[in-house]
Amino acid sequence: MRQRTQGRALDLALDPGKPRYSMEAALEAEGLVKRYGARTAVQDLSFRVPKGSIYGVLGPNGAGKSSTLRMLVGVLRPTAGRITVLGGAADRETMKRVGYLPEERGLYRGMSARAAIAYLARLKGTPAGKAFKRADQLLADHGLGSVRRKKVKTLSKGMAQKVQVLGAIAHEPDLIIFDEPFSGLDPVNQRVLEDTIRAEAAAGRTVVFSTHVMEHAERLCDRILLIAQGRAAFEGTVRDALALAPAIAVVETDGEYDMAPVLQPLGFKWVEELGEHGNRRWRVTLENGHGSRQLLQACVEAGAPLSLFEPARASLHEAFVALVGDKVAVSAAE
Amino acid sequence: MSPIFLVARRDYMAYAGSWGFWLSLLTAPLIIAVLLFAPIFLARAEPPRVLAIVAERASDVAAVEAAFARNALRDARGEIRGYLAAAAPDLEAPVIEAFDAAPDRQAAIAAARAVVAERAPNAVRAFPSPSPRYQIVAAPAPQIQALTPYLDGTRTLASGASLYGALNIRRDEAGAPVIEYWSTALNHDEPTNVAHRAMRLEMQREALAAQGLPPSEAERLQGFDPQIVQFDPRTTTGESVTLRERAPFYAALALAFILWSVVFSVANMLLNGVIEEKSNKILDTLLTSVSPLQMLIGKLLGVAAVSVTLFLFWGALGGTLLTMAADRAGDSILGQIAAAFLEPRLLVAFVVGFVAGYIMYGAIFLALGSLCESLQEAQTLLGPVALVLAMPMMLITPALDNPNAPIIETASWIPLFTPFLLLVRAPSGLSWIEIAGMGAMMIATVVLLLWLASLVFKAGVVDQVSLSSLRGRKAKG
Repeated sequence: MRQRTQGRALDLALDPGKPRYSMEAALEAEGLVKRYGARTAVQDLSFRVPKGSIYGVLGPNGAGKSSTLRMLVGVLRPTAGRITVLGGAADRETMKRVGYLPEERGLYRGMSARAAIAYLARLKGTPAGKAFKRADQLLADHGLGSVRRKKVKTLSKGMAQKVQVLGAIAHEPDLIIFDEPFSGLDPVNQRVLEDTIRAEAAAGRTVVFSTHVMEHAERLCDRILLIAQGRAAFEGTVRDALALAPAIAVVETDGEYDMAPVLQPLGFKWVEELGEHGNRRWRVTLENGHGSRQLLQACVEAGAPLSLFEPARASLHEAFVALVGDKVAVSAAE
Repeated sequence: MSPIFLVARRDYMAYAGSWGFWLSLLTAPLIIAVLLFAPIFLARAEPPRVLAIVAERASDVAAVEAAFARNALRDARGEIRGYLAAAAPDLEAPVIEAFDAAPDRQAAIAAARAVVAERAPNAVRAFPSPSPRYQIVAAPAPQIQALTPYLDGTRTLASGASLYGALNIRRDEAGAPVIEYWSTALNHDEPTNVAHRAMRLEMQREALAAQGLPPSEAERLQGFDPQIVQFDPRTTTGESVTLRERAPFYAALALAFILWSVVFSVANMLLNGVIEEKSNKILDTLLTSVSPLQMLIGKLLGVAAVSVTLFLFWGALGGTLLTMAADRAGDSILGQIAAAFLEPRLLVAFVVGFVAGYIMYGAIFLALGSLCESLQEAQTLLGPVALVLAMPMMLITPALDNPNAPIIETASWIPLFTPFLLLVRAPSGLSWIEIAGMGAMMIATVVLLLWLASLVFKAGVVDQVSLSSLRGRKAKG
């Protein structure tokens, strides 16, 4: 019998003292390996996705995220390893309870938006009447009611992508897997999609998504898996990942003053940002045993015209850089 | 609802909703009708072609003119019979009797029309006005060379008409006739054929006269026509072979050609379908709900349904028209051919051969399509595949001539040939064991091919294996 955890997950979400998600696993991977000929795309990957959580699979392009997700939904067969989806094998029957948005997206261009959503829902076993009703409802809820009878080929790229997202959730799956769902969307639609993901999780569904944009994961995820070169670099909560990042200080100088000669001798790494009122801003990663005190002292000694000096919270990207190293992080940015 | 059915239904609706489908559905019968009737209409609309006959002997001119007159009479008779079959079938006997009794063509047409006017006044309005295809005129010059300006269009006849051609009948040293035909349209050889038959008869008349026999005997001798009666030793009644016995062969031959044309016509659809899905990047989404094998079967069923729709429409249209024509002609050809299909052994052979053949070739096309990145790449595959498909067709005529020849029997067990040869050999008395054996082999082949095709399909659509990537590997290797 199909078990649903919606009620329990909502209870947990209402209790601020407890995590929003259950500790029961919606998805488990153990020792996953995927090789394409001589190339290894995924190497000994193990992780566990709690039921009702929002789980991010992060990493640079080519890290093995899509191969991992395609193995999870049964499109790719792992070279080695074991996958448990919703308590069972990743077979086609289980997959009826899974919604999947692949990285390479597409719909039948001659179908109407509602027919495309209903078709995907029907392939997952939803009866025809219910599938069309649900398609209409989803399109109306997501501001696409007016284009529901328009053919996919007449929709904008963003609209078509939203239609495909709706097609992935139309059958009310227990587990939703999105591969790079934000790519190709403008900032407004990225926010809309973030809201959709939050709403699905609030309804007790487990959402797994991959991205190479850390900000989305930082805003949405309960737990994350950082992948680099096919291997897991980190698995845990966003807070735990941020704790691994080095301290950051933000320094702003008046005018054209160059901080590089001050930072280089201390072995700091930095990123220059645009400051306010034409000032230069430097986001400095504090490492090599030096802290903010040493940085401030160096600035004073150098006579730097400081207009701002404050410690800052590290971003997930900085945590990622700290975990996998510069070279991999640079390839991530590329 | 089964995912296979959903895939099939989507593919069917996608094709049935396209302009190409409706164009095929509606234009094919129109094109066939135009091809069938256009020559008739054109022939009727065309004025008689003007011919001149030049000969050393006046008797040769008379003989050839008479032959053209006989042909014109025969054509008029046929046209009037066709009209009667459609407009007044009951009057055929008296009208034709009146026609045959008349002394010449004009009088024959007038006599026939008079009978219709008397007995069926309402039908007489549609009575045809048969026009002869050739008008024989007196040559404007006695020598053939002098006719050249008339033939090349430099000059016209006194009536204003252009001379279409000229027959020059001369005699060689031995007195044998030599027929020269002069025209700017030498591809049309009917005037030569008419003259040739006429002069052959003339030669026979001359030969009889030389032997002291009446020349008129030549016509009687030409009328000798032995009757041919064929028997099939397998028929228990010992009666001669009629259309009823031949009908299964015609039906089998028709089915083999239909299978061949279906395979060819759906090849493009199947290739395009897979390539469209590959380029639409929709396959990853679908493959979480449908297995590659289910997808393959769904697509085959969808395209098969498109073909069935087309053939049902064309068949119903053609069948209705043929039935109407056959009823009016008092014929039962269709009934006899339909009865041929109902013989259980043939029915089983037809179903196995047709269905298995379609699935086998269809699965191959789908698998190949999954390896292609573009329509252009797919088109390059169609050439070799067409050659492979041509091979079974090359065996169909020998199989009809001698269905039990060792090479045909052997080829029947090669899966590539089996569907076609099973169809063609079935009417010649294949045993139930042979049909069952070939059926079992075809089913095994189809199952194996579907499984292999689904592996290729999966490699093509999931693992992105393509012809270009395979070529790349080969080059590296």
